[in-house]
Amino acid sequence: MTDDSTATGRRRRGVSARQRPLWLLAPGGVLMTLIIVIPLLLALYISLIDLDQYTLRRWLDAPFIGLSNFTEAFGSGLPHSIWISVSFAVIATAATVPFGIAAAVATQNAYRGRALVRAVFLIPYVLPSFVVATVWRTMLQPDGIVNTVLAKAGVAGGLWLSGPKSYWTLVLVEIWAAWPFIYLMALAGLQSVDHEVYEASAIDGADWWPKLTRVVLPYLRGPVLLACLLATLNHINNFTLPYVLFGAPAPDDVNVMPMIVYVTSFQGLRFGLSAAMAIVSLLLVAIPLFAYLRALRLDVHEDGDRT
Amino acid sequence: MTASGEAHRLLPRPLLAGVTVSLCAMVLVPTLYIVLASLNTDLGVASGEFWPGAFSLDSYSRIWTTADLATGLLNSIVVCALVAVASALLGTMTAYVLVRYTFLGRLTILRGLVGLQSVPGTLMLLPVFVLFSSAGNYLGVTVVGTRWGLFLAYLTFALPFSTWVMVTYLRGLPRELEEAGRMDGASTLRILFRIIVPLSLPAIVVSGIFAFLLGWNDVLFASVLTRPETHTAAVALSAFGATQEGGALPVYSQVMAAALISAAPVVLLYLVFQRYLVGGLTAGGVK
Repeated sequence: MTDDSTATGRRRRGVSARQRPLWLLAPGGVLMTLIIVIPLLLALYISLIDLDQYTLRRWLDAPFIGLSNFTEAFGSGLPHSIWISVSFAVIATAATVPFGIAAAVATQNAYRGRALVRAVFLIPYVLPSFVVATVWRTMLQPDGIVNTVLAKAGVAGGLWLSGPKSYWTLVLVEIWAAWPFIYLMALAGLQSVDHEVYEASAIDGADWWPKLTRVVLPYLRGPVLLACLLATLNHINNFTLPYVLFGAPAPDDVNVMPMIVYVTSFQGLRFGLSAAMAIVSLLLVAIPLFAYLRALRLDVHEDGDRT
Repeated sequence: MTASGEAHRLLPRPLLAGVTVSLCAMVLVPTLYIVLASLNTDLGVASGEFWPGAFSLDSYSRIWTTADLATGLLNSIVVCALVAVASALLGTMTAYVLVRYTFLGRLTILRGLVGLQSVPGTLMLLPVFVLFSSAGNYLGVTVVGTRWGLFLAYLTFALPFSTWVMVTYLRGLPRELEEAGRMDGASTLRILFRIIVPLSLPAIVVSGIFAFLLGWNDVLFASVLTRPETHTAAVALSAFGATQEGGALPVYSQVMAAALISAAPVVLLYLVFQRYLVGGLTAGGVK
């Protein structure tokens, strides 16, 4: 970052000679301040006041209670939700990586019908999350198709949408819906492999497995790691899937962070408490988020400067 | 297949076939069931048929009265289209300045645009809800439950996203393209709308589509900020799917039909704009 800022500083003097039409920023900037910056600051303030359905109408007069919301949050279901969310996100990310890489590697070489296969791989990615959740909820009903098929195989399916199995339902449906994202990122990574690399390994007569693991997969490390960071963030923040699959309030085993925040505010009407929980969940995603922001090159001022 | 092509193969043929078939099956078996169930009758689906005993489009005609889908689709289309236009327009203007000029706080804004995409939606919704509901008390304006309230709420995540999409595109546009215009003394607005916008139209369309999809796929904001008259397709479908439990006769076939109809606009957008959605961001300015 230090290199970046000095480079920017040097350039700034060059550019400032010209008039900078910063007023063009005004419409977007003012709007973003009004609808993003102010609400985020307000969220921080709400987490410090005792805001509930009685004080909501006059929230400016709600009593300031310091960090009490945070201590109450940690004394209630929040640690459990953090554990559920983090384990869910990590398992889902880890499980989607082999699928995504396998799909990218399998569609790398051209063959007849490859375009169709690629289109099929994108189906779960294109379908809206609420549609995916609704159809799986329907299929996983006690009298739904999943249990019917299992019964024919002699297995008692039981309940998928409540009780301890609901956690694995959430994980499995998320894997089904999310693996194409890793696939897309891995595909982009594969396209950056030089043709010479293939030529060289072909001349060496390398077997497919060493060729894949030693020659091709190293190219995928960067893009797939980036994809993993983003996927983990998306899993942690996923509200739609648990909400539509299980409804609110969610069963205890799938009471992920977005669900507990939602239920605490819009069903329990404890807005202050739930703001504190939401702040905690922001701190939680901040860890992978900072790693992602570091990995991403932000300050690309001119195309010529790109490295 | 030539000898060199064979040598380029990443996987031996049997393995390639195995991986492809199992991944396709994983995707297609549930998808096929959804389509088949929507073409079945409620009774047929309830009795556990995978392949319909009799095909019918009955479910597709009945959902318009059983689920409140028409209202939802209309609201979703109106609100999301407005979000798409506003995000693409404001995003392009903002991104142009962010890419072409340096100023204090520029890096912070760029970081913020990316970071905002990972801020939990619940953290954003909470203060937005408090602000919207207190607008009624302090200003005498009803915002919660209106379409334009939802529009504003969707901009909170669509606008930064569209702006970021445009930033990644515009910084690939060579500066020389606008130098000529600048030499002629054209105003910034003129350069923006006569040179930049036509050149980056695919990216602008993509940023608008992404904004549209963000709104279309949202359940969180719509579930809190809408009334029955203003609810979106996502809310209508989730509510319809959730009422199926414990009823006398489940209407799973209709749920599947409603789900496919709610997904149709999104699938259509991907089919029509596939070229742009894939190529829009990588296309260069000078060929």
